[in-house]
Amino acid sequence: MALVAAPWLVGEGAQRFLSEAMLMLAMAQMWNLLAGYAGLVSMGQQVFVGLGAYCLFFSSIWLKVAPFWVLPLAPLLCAIVAAIVALFMFRLREAYFAIGTWVFSEVVSLMISKTERLGGERGVGLPTARLVDPRWLEPLTFWISAAIAVAAVFGTWALLRSRVGLGLMTVRDNDVAAASIGVDVWRNRFIAFVIAAAGCGLAGAVSFTATLYVAPGFAFDPNWVVAMMIIVIIGGIGTLEGPIVGTIIYFALREVLTVVFGLSAGWYLIGLGLVAIAAILFEPDGLWPLIRGRLGGDWLSVRREPPTPVMIAVAGTAAEGVRSSSPGLGVTRSDG
Amino acid sequence: MIWVETIVNGILYGGLYGLLGVGLALIVGVMRVVNLSHGEFIVLSAFIGVSLVGVFPSVHPLVLLLPVAVIAFALGFALQAVLINRVVTRPDPFAAILLTFGVAVVMRNLMVEIYGADLRHLQAGRLAQASTGIGSLQVGVLPLLILALSVVLFTALQLLLTRTRFGRIVRATADHRDVVRLMGVNPGRVYNLVMGLSLALASVAGMLLAIRASFSPYSGVERLLVSFEVVVLGGLGTFWGAMLGGITLGVAELVGLRLDPNAGPLYAHLLFLAGVLLRPNGLFRVRT
Amino acid sequence: MTLLDVQALDAFYGDFQALFGVTLRVDAGETVALIGANGAGKTTFLKSLVGLLDHRRGEIRFAGDTIAGEPAERISRLGLSLVPEGRLLFPSLTVEENLLMGALNRRPGAWNLARVYELFPILRERRRQSPNALSGGQQHMVAIGRALMSNPKLLLCDEISLGLAPLVVDQIYESLGRIRAEGASIVLVEQDVKRAAGAADRVYCLLKGRVTLHGQARGLGLEQLSRAYFGT
Repeated sequence: MALVAAPWLVGEGAQRFLSEAMLMLAMAQMWNLLAGYAGLVSMGQQVFVGLGAYCLFFSSIWLKVAPFWVLPLAPLLCAIVAAIVALFMFRLREAYFAIGTWVFSEVVSLMISKTERLGGERGVGLPTARLVDPRWLEPLTFWISAAIAVAAVFGTWALLRSRVGLGLMTVRDNDVAAASIGVDVWRNRFIAFVIAAAGCGLAGAVSFTATLYVAPGFAFDPNWVVAMMIIVIIGGIGTLEGPIVGTIIYFALREVLTVVFGLSAGWYLIGLGLVAIAAILFEPDGLWPLIRGRLGGDWLSVRREPPTPVMIAVAGTAAEGVRSSSPGLGVTRSDG
Repeated sequence: MIWVETIVNGILYGGLYGLLGVGLALIVGVMRVVNLSHGEFIVLSAFIGVSLVGVFPSVHPLVLLLPVAVIAFALGFALQAVLINRVVTRPDPFAAILLTFGVAVVMRNLMVEIYGADLRHLQAGRLAQASTGIGSLQVGVLPLLILALSVVLFTALQLLLTRTRFGRIVRATADHRDVVRLMGVNPGRVYNLVMGLSLALASVAGMLLAIRASFSPYSGVERLLVSFEVVVLGGLGTFWGAMLGGITLGVAELVGLRLDPNAGPLYAHLLFLAGVLLRPNGLFRVRT
Repeated sequence: MTLLDVQALDAFYGDFQALFGVTLRVDAGETVALIGANGAGKTTFLKSLVGLLDHRRGEIRFAGDTIAGEPAERISRLGLSLVPEGRLLFPSLTVEENLLMGALNRRPGAWNLARVYELFPILRERRRQSPNALSGGQQHMVAIGRALMSNPKLLLCDEISLGLAPLVVDQIYESLGRIRAEGASIVLVEQDVKRAAGAADRVYCLLKGRVTLHGQARGLGLEQLSRAYFGT
């Protein structure tokens, strides 16, 4: 596979770029899993990116081992935190869940900023990186990033083909109808949320290992989730190939705007924002469905067909007795 | 004594938070949309205020509240008419969230490019420092003014919605968007006006907040989170609840800052999370 | 004089076709009943008339104007008024405010708030209450009153007897008599065949989106109606 051979073929700069791209792809897949399949729009996903990074840094520093050994701890911590957070965040629906997770992220960020032991506002470096042979640091990061990206894509694919995945897809389309046919809405969303947290934690940990520095401002920067969202929206929400397309476009656009046109990062984000807005207005399914037509088929077929209006109507009337939702109030009881 | 003063000041500024939130509560209640660019418009109003002060240096910022509110109304109207109305009818509840988020990203970075990333402040002159005695307490004149203005605006909003023909139309549209069409009402136009109103209210809060605290193009995030917390704590879509929610948050923040000067909005956020955990339907069950 | 003229109406929900070539006519002063089982397409038909259904083919003419393709807001000003299925009153408004909403499109005519209260006296008593506090029959009265406030030329009534006790239905149908006396034409959509046919001049029957029968109400036998209704 080309990915394995790459470190010998391309320079360090390119490796770093590709690592970044692949980690971003993994994160985008996680966000897509949540929003595109579980129907959870999380705007606080950056909290797991940051927690993963902090977990890695401090377990590496406190245990005095090279960072790569403690890498598995990052997704583990994030999974645990996600499990706890879900308990109260899942009481909020839709937009309220989105912002609630964001508030949680801010709280974590603020608490770490105030904790001197964790580096406070300034953050910490990664002295234990010296324990790794510098010739292998970049390639190792690269391989791990690639592995994570591949795992993210195929892991999601496998998940969606499983029972949990099927449950998720019914939940995304109509959670009331799904509940009425016996799908455990809460449990399926919970699983998706925990997995996505672990995924982002892992990607975040590796990402900050590459930069050798972590601080609350960077670790919990909402721009992480901005990037995830934009990639998924432009690429194609609810498809596995979408985030891949989106990541390519994201980075291509960045290189073009900053390198070719010499624009500052601010204009790049403005450009991306405008593209995202255009995408939502005109192509809410993203670019992948358009491309797929030309390429003639799915690469990873787990893409589900949305139910026809008749099916929704039938499922809707069947679900009438299950829950009455009051208009405009985005909060529901925790019995899901 | 310091504690009582802190709490009183918290209440006074809480009125401001309530005002931040009520604009959001309005559009959530009427069109089920959470405008994620709400914070950015709050900050933009402050920047416009600063620009206007630059152009009319002899005018006191408080006088500029009205023109800024008018500009904000126009912006809100345009935002709704051009962008949000296109997604409001879609069954997907996330389209509006994602769209307004995109708008927020664009606005935030545009403001950085135009105004720079430095912190700004809206000077209110001696008024900001003045304080007066109420009983045995020293209370700032400005906070009192702000509270009074918040109460006036809240009351005006209530009256508008419950006693006028327009208010009736808005409430009916919120109930059944399609049925009002049978009575000749164009829901899109109603939404335009409501969004304009929402941002006008937010702009007043934004200007007043800019007098109290410094701001930068990145402050929008915090403003949004506060507005949102006010709405949720207050009970999603009720207005006096939003006011009470704002006051609770204001008190929590100021008390927290006394205990822990580096906390920023931490205690307000923690209160919100506690509220979600314990009383997800809002702390205050106040009907509109 | 033909008030409503529908020719070969097809209606769609997305890809799903609900009406097939429906042709129907209402003359001024007439009461026309449209009967059919659940899901036959009656409500779909009414929605197409008032402009709430985007996907249709065919001609709809009202008082000479072509209204097919016009938005609901514009059609409502022409004198076509709907009492929707399920009433669909505004819960955030009081009874009186609900009625006043109907007056937004007021055309000159006999109906106003006072006259509606005359027609349904119980509503005057309850005018400051939320519609949720009213009984089913009273809610129907509010819905009808709301539709009357605009002084329509044609009143479309979707299942106004649904879920009501017979005595209450009598009351409602009696009010139809007075509405008719003021000059409005009426389309009655009902599942209750006897009621509708009894109150109407002419009857149309829908089955699975197609007109299976139409004729003078008096001339239709029970067996004929059953066959058209159930399709046996």
